[in-house]
Amino acid sequence: MKDFEALKNIWHHQVALPKVSHEDVLRKVRQTKSGFANKLLFELTGISVAIVMLGYIWISSPFKMWTTHLAMVIMVGCCLYYLYTQLVDFFKIKDESLMHKPEDYIEYLKKYKGDRYTLNTRNYKVYTLFLSFGFLFYFIEIGFLASVWITVLGLVLTGVWILFCYFILMRRYIRKEELRLEDMIKNLERLENQFKPEQS
Amino acid sequence: MDKEALFKEIFQKNSRKIYHLCYGYTGDDDSANDLMQETFLKVWQNLDKFRNQALISTWIYRIAVNTCLSYLRVEKRQIKDELTDNIIENKSEEISEKPEQVATLYKCISQLEENERLIITMVLDEIPYPEIAQISGISDGNLRVKIHRIKQKLTELYNRHERF
Repeated sequence: MKDFEALKNIWHHQVALPKVSHEDVLRKVRQTKSGFANKLLFELTGISVAIVMLGYIWISSPFKMWTTHLAMVIMVGCCLYYLYTQLVDFFKIKDESLMHKPEDYIEYLKKYKGDRYTLNTRNYKVYTLFLSFGFLFYFIEIGFLASVWITVLGLVLTGVWILFCYFILMRRYIRKEELRLEDMIKNLERLENQFKPEQS
Repeated sequence: MDKEALFKEIFQKNSRKIYHLCYGYTGDDDSANDLMQETFLKVWQNLDKFRNQALISTWIYRIAVNTCLSYLRVEKRQIKDELTDNIIENKSEEISEKPEQVATLYKCISQLEENERLIITMVLDEIPYPEIAQISGISDGNLRVKIHRIKQKLTELYNRHERF
């Protein structure tokens, strides 16, 4: 039979040492910084190229129908919205929350996860719909320039693509995200209860 | 003192205890090292805020505790048997003295609830109670009751394991 003091004695006899040195941490700091900058730069470049290309098509092509101009506005808007969400997300991940009390930190995690869920589901759904309609509007004028069959084919394919995205891909994705969030929230609530004052 | 020198000093003073906390929480060496690295990465990022603080270790522990809590959210490593085998395997390589007893102790800690694991590793590392209260955000009185209960639970678990 051992008492707690004996356990403490055993604990102090362990010689397990961390395998990470302070140099490793500093190396990681530098890597994370450049990784962060590279990712942001990559996203910025990609989306800027897309906006420039859309702008070029818009200016250089003699579009006659208002639907095409609307399509361009929607598509550029979608690109800008994507860029905005990426930037907001990058700057939102500040680590100050790590210094909160554990109970508050868990609350913060719950909120953060909820927000991410909304972004990944509702906002993404709206984004996909807008982008799909942008393409649909764009094809209207193309349809008038091309033959009837190509027009019909273009419209049907775009319509099928929108329906497929909305009813199959999005639903499946949202269901998966929902399960993931439920699981996380359940875990976080269990942890939160552990830090709450006990009722006597 | 420049930032790197200050960080080195803080790291050397606290890394071992933070590693124990992470090891007690996760039950495996690799994850403990990862969490410790993540903790000190955050410490580096927030070092300027710590400069004039009297008890830097309290903040480091607070960051470590929160990092551990967010780890569980992502990785569901609660399968006790796997955890236990892992501990025994790792420990036997690393510990020269009383290896079986330390392994059993870790095995018993892994059977506690998450907050109990965090609190008891701090108690075992002799962190003063007011500091543990500040780190965990639990009131002093409540914490004393909790610690008393966890000590009893751990001792019972340990003695039960030793008997079999």
